[in-house]
Amino acid sequence: MSSQSGRIGKARRRWAQTLRPYAYILPTFVFLFIFTHWPILRTFYVSFFKWNMASPTMEFVGAANYVQAWKTPLFWQVLGNNLLFAAGTVPLTLAVALALALLINQKIRGLALYRALLFYPTMIPMAAAAMIWLWILTPNYGLLNYYGKWLGLPDVHWLGHSTLALWALVLVGVWKRVGYYMVIYLAGLQVIPEHLYEAARIEGAGPWQRFWKVTFPLVSPTTFFVGVMAVIDAFQAIDQVYLMTGGGPGNATNLFIFYIYQNAFRFFDFGYGSAISAILFLILLALTLLAFRTLHRKVHYA
Amino acid sequence: MRSRSSWSLAVHALLLAAALVMVVPLVWIVLTAFKERNEVFSQVPQWLPGHPTFNNFLGVLDAMPFWRYYWNTIVVAFGILAIQVVTITLAAYAFARMQFWGRDVLFILLLVQLMIAPQSTVIQNYITVTRLGLLDTKLAIMAPYLASAFGTFLLRQTFKGIPRELEEAAALDGCGTLRFLLYVAIPLALPGYLAFGLVSITYHWNEFFWPLVVTETTGSRTLTLGLGIFAQTAEGSADWTMLMAMTLMVIAVPLAAFLLFQRRFINSFMQSGLGG
Repeated sequence: MSSQSGRIGKARRRWAQTLRPYAYILPTFVFLFIFTHWPILRTFYVSFFKWNMASPTMEFVGAANYVQAWKTPLFWQVLGNNLLFAAGTVPLTLAVALALALLINQKIRGLALYRALLFYPTMIPMAAAAMIWLWILTPNYGLLNYYGKWLGLPDVHWLGHSTLALWALVLVGVWKRVGYYMVIYLAGLQVIPEHLYEAARIEGAGPWQRFWKVTFPLVSPTTFFVGVMAVIDAFQAIDQVYLMTGGGPGNATNLFIFYIYQNAFRFFDFGYGSAISAILFLILLALTLLAFRTLHRKVHYA
Repeated sequence: MRSRSSWSLAVHALLLAAALVMVVPLVWIVLTAFKERNEVFSQVPQWLPGHPTFNNFLGVLDAMPFWRYYWNTIVVAFGILAIQVVTITLAAYAFARMQFWGRDVLFILLLVQLMIAPQSTVIQNYITVTRLGLLDTKLAIMAPYLASAFGTFLLRQTFKGIPRELEEAAALDGCGTLRFLLYVAIPLALPGYLAFGLVSITYHWNEFFWPLVVTETTGSRTLTLGLGIFAQTAEGSADWTMLMAMTLMVIAVPLAAFLLFQRRFINSFMQSGLGG
């Protein structure tokens, strides 16, 4: 009798031992499933249905939503805008961030202050940054038009201009993110062993050569990683579009997420909205995977 | 020697120029916030306020339920963190120290959260939140963030570093897993929690788009939304001094916290980049 209950107790304990890890990860996976895995699957599923204000019950339409995107000039314009926005922000942000990281990596006085001043835009909401720049970019009374004249910048209504508006958003994007990427670069620079620079110096390499032969190859994993992050960031930009231009003038600054927002939450077209979400999802996934593949092949490991 | 000092002078000059570009916008809005309403409409920028005034700040408090937005933001940001701490601790411990069937696959499923852009699933999450009856609540803003792959990943690294002997010794003394977590593992991982906490709070304090999608009334709206909505009213869009005062009120506390604990914030964000 007692030996039997002992055995049951042991079996129960073994079960508890087996199940415990699953109990520990359960809360995480409940939330993860509802708000990460399920929405991915469901976005693809819904993208094959007609589901909007006009037809509130879902109706299977095959690839019609994708065909609609293919045939809509605005879709291509949005994609082009976003590529241009990425091409404008990413190389510029990375180059400036690396330059600043190199400067700040010297043993100089006032380092902490410089770092704080360069980094603080990371800490403030994009919504606040948007307000700041709306005021600076405003025509007639804005700071940029007044002082921009000294730098040879045109005296224009930046956010109302069909090509310059996008570049104004690029400016805000670089201003907001450059400090963050500088700090990531700083971490990359600090692991480069000093003796490599010593060796280069003995070989007679000047600062320029030391940068291109030692620093640049050795921070390439960071460049790579930061580059991918920055491109993904560029495809996620929405706050500044919503608050500064509303996608205008005439869709000149309409970027991907704003386009999704318009279709889903202004025109209530969940079917088409899901199809373009799925396309964005695939673009970003392809970028991430490409990133990891090249990372293994090309990039120099320190 | 001479070339070294001229080099350091050049470094300072470049850094100073960069720092100016970053800081001038902030200085400009601070000064604008203290100006009188019509003072800003001048073709030549007047830097200093002619008659410094607090009226813009008082005007903000009259024009909107500012403290309500503030309270909502605090509840959302700290509420998310409080729940995250529980979920990431348990999951990180399981992934770091326990053997179980399907562990590697489950870990990859967790990392999916780091790899996908959250904005690409916003429509479906909106539908889910609506179906759960959470639309226009603070919980709706919090819901998608209650599990964190980044936090789990960060803590897992820390937990892995705790010597196994410590756990075995504790077990011999009759200390169960949960107690070990509470009294040994968590205290040892405090720097990790701090780094994660700072990044999480900052991110959710600053968030705009998801709260915009799932809230409709002041009962659930956060500060950034209050700011955005005010900017788009006729009153807000014409009144730069009040708009800048509100912007300043939104960023003041986080910015002060950053300036006080600069190193901690920067190190935390550094880790967020390396982990994510």
